[in-house]
Amino acid sequence: MSAPAAAPALELRGIAKTYMLREGGTLRRRHRPLQAVRPTDLVLERNGILGLVGESGSGKTTTGMMALRLVNPSGGRILLEGDDITDLGVTALKPYRRRMQVVFQDSYSALDPMFTLQQIVAEPLVIHGIGDARSRAARALEWLERVGLHRSYGSRYPHELSGGQRQRVAIARALILEPAVLVADEPTSALDVSVKAQIINLLQDLQADMDLSILFISHDLSVVRSLCDRVAVMFNGRIVEEAEAETIFTGARHPYTRALLDAIPVLDPRRRRTRIFRDRDAIEAEGLTLAAGALSEPAEPSDEPALVAVAPRHRVEAVVTP
Amino acid sequence: MIGYILRRLVSVAVTFFIVSVLIFSMMHAIPGGPFDAGDMPVPEEVRQKLLAQYGLDEPLYVQYLKYMWGVLRLDFGVPFQSPGETVLELLGRAWVPSLVLGGLGVLIGAPLGMLLGMAAALKRNSWIDYLASAVATLGLTIPVFVTSMLLILTFSVWLGWLPSSGWGAPERWILPIVAYATIPMATYARYTRSAMLDTLNKPFVTVLRAKGLPERQIVFKHVLRNSAIPLVTVFLPMFIGTATGSIFVEAMFRVPGLGSFFVSSIRTRDYPLEMALMLMLTLMFCLAYLLSDILYAWLNPRIRHGGGRE
Amino acid sequence: MTAPSAAEPLVEIRDLHVAFPQFEGTVHAVRGVSLHLAPGESLGIVGESGSGKSVSCMAVMRLLRSPPAQISADRLALEGIDVMAAGKDDLTRLRGRAAAMIFQDPMTAFDPVFTIGQQIAETLRLHREMGRRAARDEALNLLRRVEIRNPEAVLESYPHQLSGGMLQRAMIAMALSCHPRVLFADEPTTALDVTVQAQILQLIKDLQAELGMGLIMVTHDMGVVAETVDRVVVMYGGQVMEQAGVIDIFERPAHPYTRALLASIPGQEGGRRRLTEIPGGSPDPSDPPGGCPFHPRCPEADARCAAEAPPLLTGADGRQTACWRVTP
Repeated sequence: MSAPAAAPALELRGIAKTYMLREGGTLRRRHRPLQAVRPTDLVLERNGILGLVGESGSGKTTTGMMALRLVNPSGGRILLEGDDITDLGVTALKPYRRRMQVVFQDSYSALDPMFTLQQIVAEPLVIHGIGDARSRAARALEWLERVGLHRSYGSRYPHELSGGQRQRVAIARALILEPAVLVADEPTSALDVSVKAQIINLLQDLQADMDLSILFISHDLSVVRSLCDRVAVMFNGRIVEEAEAETIFTGARHPYTRALLDAIPVLDPRRRRTRIFRDRDAIEAEGLTLAAGALSEPAEPSDEPALVAVAPRHRVEAVVTP
Repeated sequence: MIGYILRRLVSVAVTFFIVSVLIFSMMHAIPGGPFDAGDMPVPEEVRQKLLAQYGLDEPLYVQYLKYMWGVLRLDFGVPFQSPGETVLELLGRAWVPSLVLGGLGVLIGAPLGMLLGMAAALKRNSWIDYLASAVATLGLTIPVFVTSMLLILTFSVWLGWLPSSGWGAPERWILPIVAYATIPMATYARYTRSAMLDTLNKPFVTVLRAKGLPERQIVFKHVLRNSAIPLVTVFLPMFIGTATGSIFVEAMFRVPGLGSFFVSSIRTRDYPLEMALMLMLTLMFCLAYLLSDILYAWLNPRIRHGGGRE
Repeated sequence: MTAPSAAEPLVEIRDLHVAFPQFEGTVHAVRGVSLHLAPGESLGIVGESGSGKSVSCMAVMRLLRSPPAQISADRLALEGIDVMAAGKDDLTRLRGRAAAMIFQDPMTAFDPVFTIGQQIAETLRLHREMGRRAARDEALNLLRRVEIRNPEAVLESYPHQLSGGMLQRAMIAMALSCHPRVLFADEPTTALDVTVQAQILQLIKDLQAELGMGLIMVTHDMGVVAETVDRVVVMYGGQVMEQAGVIDIFERPAHPYTRALLASIPGQEGGRRRLTEIPGGSPDPSDPPGGCPFHPRCPEADARCAAEAPPLLTGADGRQTACWRVTP
């Protein structure tokens, strides 16, 4: 293993997930493999926010869950701050669980309705045996304040909160262990517009304060544009383009990325246009073809599409022709 | 579908086998036997002879295998309490009153319960809803032997309108059937109400209203059909389940049905009869579940047409 | 664009109040909303959850169960017919025929035990008194019209066998089956994937223009508004904050809430940045603040805003604003 100091916060090497689907009648049952995630490389740099973007069925959530070891990968390695955690058992994994936490879209079902907010936020400390009851309570209240909720909220219950407030509690609970990596799976998707901005700002502030690295899984490109440093676009179980956020928004190369960007409603009624859509199957069939000379790093010509570099730190899936 | 049914039949057979082993061993594990000295003051050697005659002196597994071999040939042995006939003949005789009592009880109680549940769901928070809740709660919480006793007190003792016990003449049927009908009525009222409410709150009902469908059509064409899907899975097994409830009713009203033999077979350690009754119940339960699952699949396009979105 | 047409409005709501008594206290979902829609016009009702935008539409379609809902209004009319006074037969005629509605989640909008074809045909047989055969053929036409490529297969499909985008198309086909004069679209794209969202919006826009029907687009998404409608009603806390033409709303938003809402939309400028946020949260509908509902979060609020609710005033250009700080 390389020196941990230089290692990225999170690295996925060839991570893949295949589910076996049962299909056909009851007499002639077949098993068909479904590749939810094809072998994928992904690097979350330290102190970076990486947006993992895609539509339903793209494999983005499965990828996030594998990174957290909440879903076991069918292949590939998961490296957390340089340490390979792919094969660790429950006990060996526990110290690493402290280093990576998660926030989900539906914070209501993720918060135990029988616990007070203070208990909810302090729970990770209990699980990991940190501090005594008094210090845990104090830290929980501190964290409630840090995510913008008054200390008096400590004695309230989840059902008393609005969606945005619950998401703040979920963030406090995830960050109280001061993890290195936060996986946020659509944390703003269920929120109202005016509250969404608050949560995005909160994540940005905390990320800067805590040297946190965030894997931000979302289908909402507008949010990703305001929040993320880098963006990886997933399509049918694989990454088709990855680049700095602004490069994605201004210089996307892959037809699917372009289709996604084109689908964002334009906030200017004067620029309404009739759009022509291609469905996903057509985009998949079309793909992208690049001449070897157009690449920034050499790649072998091949009929099989592969991720190739078209510019520094900009990879796109393409068939390379000589 | 056929493959599914075949697989389910195999599982019924396995269940049947496991249950038979369990019951057989549990039945014999309970201390005491049919010819214990306390019940039957006979000399020890006569007792041994009796045991040998009924094969009760052999090791348990031999007894079991012999018994099951008989079961496969539909030979359930001879009931100890009535050695003049076979178990099968006795069951054939006792079956009739139970079927009349149980069948009429369910046939009267179930539709009433369903109507009550439907009315309650459609007129939520009205008097009929409260009535349905009261009936369901009382029916489910008051044990059926209490209901039976109240009926006997009211209609036989105080009013003197109906005989308190026995079978035979149709007027003797009324009280036990009424007592028995309370169970399915209460259960069906409760399930129907909650299934209907569940469906009425589904978004597609709003869509149906928005497209202008008259309320009557919404309820009778869409809501009932959707509510029926979860209901069939509980209804058939409940049909059989109520059969066990009839044990108390039969005992209270002295109806010479399966229930009364069930009680006496356990009390007198009448192994062949006990075994036969238990196996019969097991088989009925298994088949009822199988039938309701098939019905469920048939009613529910999601299962009938498999596949589905990715 | 903003002035109501001389013809009788298709949809007319005047001073609508809707409340839901609940165990913890009464939820005041709509508190004095007035709006109208002229024939062929497209109106966006934009607001956050709890703003009362959906409830207002459900009220005018008489889709709220009452009781528990307590509905009162000076006027609540579809095609000039008072829906509060309408009998069952009137409602049946109005719903589906005069006004149709499509909903947020197409996955739950169809009865799971009937095929799509059966459900579209049901509407046709009800309103257009078609025979079985004719209804089926027309359903097929409708599915073609909403650009479903394999209409025969979709016709025979059960809802669970289709994707969300496909179901929303079928839903639109069903809504349009009886040539309604107004279509209520309640967050029709919120539950769909990004690329499918854009397609459905385009479809609704195209059909609206083609059929010349009125459209009420209920949404929380300013982008959807910018793409689809002529006129916008901005709602907050059960009240109308502002009403204006779509270009005015985006280029010259008058109400502080509209301005704040537009400013807080992420992704408008390149690069990672802090967003302009609206502090605080939506008002509690069971205990709405006195005065202007937005005053606790408004940067310009003063004592008067807290004490007294500003009336919705109409300016010379037909533009309406409810704010003490704005002169229409």
